[in-house]
Amino acid sequence: MATATRPAPAATTTPPRSVVTRAAAAVAGLAVAVVLVVAPLVSSPYINFQLASIMVFAVALLGLNVIMGYTGQVSLGQSAFLGLGAYITAYGVLNDWPIALSLLLSAVVPAAVGMLVALAAARLRGLALAMITLALPIIGVPLARRFDGFTGGSQGQVVSWLRAPESLGLANDQWRYYVVAVIALVAFLLVRNLVRGRIGRSFAIVKENEAVALSMGVSPYRTKVLAFTIASALGGLSGFMYLAVVQYTSPETLVFATSINLVAAMVIGGSASIVGTALGALYYVLVPVLAGQVNSSRTALISGAVLLAVLFVLPAGLVSLPRRLARRRSARRGTRTAPHDTADDAATPTSTDGSAPAVPAPAATTTDQHP
Amino acid sequence: MTAPPAPDAMLSVRGVSLRFGGITVLDDVSFDAPRGGILGLVGPNGAGKTSLFNCISGHYQPAAGSILVDGTETVRTPAWRMARLGLARTFQHPALRLDATVLENVLLGAHSWLPGGPVAWALRLPTTRRHEREARARALELVERTGLGWAAHTRADELSHGLHKGVELCRALLARPKLLLLDEPAAGLSHAEVEQLIGTVRAVRQEFDLTVVVVEHHMGLISALTDRVVVLDHGAKLMEGTAAQAQSDPRVVEAYLGKEVGAGEPA
Repeated sequence: MATATRPAPAATTTPPRSVVTRAAAAVAGLAVAVVLVVAPLVSSPYINFQLASIMVFAVALLGLNVIMGYTGQVSLGQSAFLGLGAYITAYGVLNDWPIALSLLLSAVVPAAVGMLVALAAARLRGLALAMITLALPIIGVPLARRFDGFTGGSQGQVVSWLRAPESLGLANDQWRYYVVAVIALVAFLLVRNLVRGRIGRSFAIVKENEAVALSMGVSPYRTKVLAFTIASALGGLSGFMYLAVVQYTSPETLVFATSINLVAAMVIGGSASIVGTALGALYYVLVPVLAGQVNSSRTALISGAVLLAVLFVLPAGLVSLPRRLARRRSARRGTRTAPHDTADDAATPTSTDGSAPAVPAPAATTTDQHP
Repeated sequence: MTAPPAPDAMLSVRGVSLRFGGITVLDDVSFDAPRGGILGLVGPNGAGKTSLFNCISGHYQPAAGSILVDGTETVRTPAWRMARLGLARTFQHPALRLDATVLENVLLGAHSWLPGGPVAWALRLPTTRRHEREARARALELVERTGLGWAAHTRADELSHGLHKGVELCRALLARPKLLLLDEPAAGLSHAEVEQLIGTVRAVRQEFDLTVVVVEHHMGLISALTDRVVVLDHGAKLMEGTAAQAQSDPRVVEAYLGKEVGAGEPA
């Protein structure tokens, strides 16, 4: 511990970021907001459908990021919750439930299912949770085919709902876009708040080191159950949004491939990042569309190549691009003026003390005691 | 055989045994840490010091024995509930979130006393915001007191090992412990850093009315800091006394250095 020779900064409640960075972020945020509000008014129904789809998958990804990005538990079953939410909503539409009830149950029922799964699975260590989540879409698809009274079987359920109120003068695609955009906005705000405070810190330490979590009063088991429950609720909510946009759901909605693509999109956007989640949703929806325009018979191939390219160039996801550029700029300036200073290069974890390990060794194995 | 727990003890360990498979790691260990004191736990490598720590902090469950923290039996208490009982600890290898700032790392220490569940935090209720502000102010205060104020908003991966230890100490202190367990706080520190650590531990013990138990190899730190030491060897208590007594005790010397050639008489 060095003596406090450097002047201590004034007690601020937010980490000081440069004024330029903050201003740039504010301008960018404002510009995005304006585009998101105005775009559907001037775009074709097709474009609005794509924009609304981005909102849908942004919320599914947000949930995935809570359990996987922030809490570090591999989940391969997010599509099952998306599908469950969509089926519940479809059932509600076909049985004339109030929309608010459909909205509520599309989140609460998947949350309850997710919680039950996690209560059992979070006791297991390592990849066991991943394996159990993997089973969800695999079991879910035949279940959805089988219970055709509820799901419409292999044909799925076609619904026609959420038409624009006449008084607003909006087309259906515009109205549906705004509905899902508002839901997405609320979900993002809530999760952003959550991951910044006490609960977010407990997620992060469970991801980093469970022994430390235990010693600081965090139960890894409870934390995983909570994170998985939130992830499932958001997955279900995105199912509601999916049905709002697509007006159709079938066993295809919850296939395993969707879960895997969501995981890829989360990593591409940037895990444990709110902005990264939004970027991941852009990737998830737009890259297959754009790849299809390049060559419609090579969509998967082109998407895969983009995935690899992004991961090679930006292993921390698209969200790390500005930081990466800034670092490169400062590194270049550094070589011109002063000896190279690698202190800000995340690629080389620094250890100014030669004898000390740069990466803390994991503490002794622990007995994760359950409540 | 084992004495009843002393009434003024913050920590009473009685007859604690720990086994991993067929190996006895701790064998019937008993000692008390008097309230407000600093107790050293010493012994050669593999003596079971950290295992004993892990039993006290609830990370391990002893096969037998009793552990009282401020009069409360804690052997069956899950580790994550120990923080609320007033116990905080550091680790041999400081485990920080390297991608987070010093302040964010320290703030984890407030987890056990910060109120509010996920709903309150997701909604950022006014009370929640106020609690978070208080925790931040408290964390900054601790960070500044330990000479790390300048690094409060620096990412942990830009700091040295010695500073990581300081951050970890702040994190433990933010939990408002009554009993603080320090696992080899001086390991990997420079001489100057050890000197400062001694000053810091003394100061915070006084200020926060702490009882401290410290596992350490650094005899300078043990002599300077502790009122009493408990010497462990092969999982059993060898002796208990002041640091000076321990250093001159032939059994302790033997445990560390081996038996003197020709002086072969069983202890």
